[in-house]
Amino acid sequence: MNSTQQTARVGLFFLLGIALVWVTFETLSDGKIFEPRSHTLIAGFDDLRQLKTGDEVRLAGVRVGSVQKTRLAGRHAEAVLEIDPKVPIAGDATATIAMSGLIGGNYVAIDMGTPGAPALADGAEIKTLTTPDLNTLMSDIGGLGKQLQESLGTFSAAINGDPKTGGGIIQKLEKILADNTARLNATMTNLQEITDKINRGDGTLGKLVNDPKLHDELLATVDEIKATATQAKEFVANAQSVMDQVKSGQGALGTLVYDPKAAADIKASIADLRSVSDKLAKGEGTLGKLINDDGLYDSAQVTIKKVDRTLDGLNDSGPITAVGIVANALF
Amino acid sequence: MKQINAVLEGAGSMVMLLLRAGSYAGSLPRQWARFVEQCYLIGYTTLPIVTILSFFIGTVLALEAGYSMEGFGAKEFIGSLVGLSMARELGPMMTSVLLAGRVGSAITAELASMKVYHEVDALTTMNIPPAKILVLPRLAAVLVMMPVLIVFANIVGWFGGSVVARYVSSVGISSESYFAALRHYTKFKDVMNGMAKAEVFGFVVVLVCCNIGLNTRGGPREIGAAVTRAVVTSLILILILDYFVTKLLM
Repeated sequence: MNSTQQTARVGLFFLLGIALVWVTFETLSDGKIFEPRSHTLIAGFDDLRQLKTGDEVRLAGVRVGSVQKTRLAGRHAEAVLEIDPKVPIAGDATATIAMSGLIGGNYVAIDMGTPGAPALADGAEIKTLTTPDLNTLMSDIGGLGKQLQESLGTFSAAINGDPKTGGGIIQKLEKILADNTARLNATMTNLQEITDKINRGDGTLGKLVNDPKLHDELLATVDEIKATATQAKEFVANAQSVMDQVKSGQGALGTLVYDPKAAADIKASIADLRSVSDKLAKGEGTLGKLINDDGLYDSAQVTIKKVDRTLDGLNDSGPITAVGIVANALF
Repeated sequence: MKQINAVLEGAGSMVMLLLRAGSYAGSLPRQWARFVEQCYLIGYTTLPIVTILSFFIGTVLALEAGYSMEGFGAKEFIGSLVGLSMARELGPMMTSVLLAGRVGSAITAELASMKVYHEVDALTTMNIPPAKILVLPRLAAVLVMMPVLIVFANIVGWFGGSVVARYVSSVGISSESYFAALRHYTKFKDVMNGMAKAEVFGFVVVLVCCNIGLNTRGGPREIGAAVTRAVVTSLILILILDYFVTKLLM
């Protein structure tokens, strides 16, 4: 191989290597030599558990930063979070330490907070919430298992019981069965008889089960009930319609109920009626006197009697008197 | 005591060789042909074996990770494990080990035979410093070629892992999931970290092999012993330096 070929191969190899370095750089770092400047938030917790530097910070499950460092601050621990400056964190957002897997990985989970809430400034403290970790959960589950075991023990004791006090539930049930075997047999025999009768079609229940006519009648009755219910529905619908019309002030009743002018007129009429009735009661006016004054009644009776007698006289004198009256009147 | 003296003597001669070669750094452009030749030997001819080795390192990593992580339900993290392991540790270290075995042994053998057959003495007699024409081009070439070899090793290793993750039923995760985890957890700074390590390892391997080759004494039988000594020393130094460089770069 001559020197030129060797140089060309080395050059090609080198350029290919540089190209691959560039591809790797673009793929892994998105073409950024330096990490964009991030802003920090402080998250205080009672216990950081296994959270460590470099663990992820996720906003609604999306990686937006990492834990820059962890430190003690008085009586609690703090995690300094590096957040992508392009991602605003709401002022009322809450940070919790969450588990990313069962092998001990943790991350800081931040929720979205309230829409429109002002974003936290660089170096601000974010609200935190302590959630139970795996150890606490396992401890709780252990306690739960213990309680379950105790409950099962109690249940088992109730089932088995103490032989001195007559045994447990099962033993007592066995005793009840043994003591009442005859009654139970009689009850079973009665039940057998009843079912036999039903099968034969005896009695109401038997006919209902076995007689197709009764079945048809029952169906007809049900149909009638359905029709009645339909009519009742229509009636209710009509009544509802009437009520709607009344409510909307339509018709006489609607006007009466909802028209203020009509109401005022009715009130005035009632007041007038009251005034008239008061006057009648007091004996004022002609009608009042007519009702209350006995003298007027007596006078009227006398007058009526007189008129009666006059009419009787007229009847007796007959048409002559009538002609005479007419003649007198004419001449 | 004799052993300690030998170690100290070797360290001292290595530093002296480095300083001598560094003092001729200005002459490198005039040695372009030698530099290109060494680039060809160190980089181009080493690439096939680096590729094969890296591919299978990636596959084994993914296989072992799949087997181990299945119990945790964490198979989705295989990509991140392969990505980080290859970029930060296995890529640079295994490439350097290969360099020591393939290139380092060749350098020691060549320089030791030149020394044994007095070619180095002849150069010195002609006032041509061996550090200038035999060591400097190799050191410069390894500095240029190592990052290229490492990026090839990383990419092939990652690809090998993805093949296992996708096609081996006991692992059985999708390529998308594998590369998503790889991208999520492996950063370019991890790749740069690995390259920095590889530069240190490669430089030390070439320096050690050149030094042992140039310090070979005796007859032709010593050439083989020198090669063995150079490779063993290189491997030990790679592992020792690995700890310190990793600690330094963290």
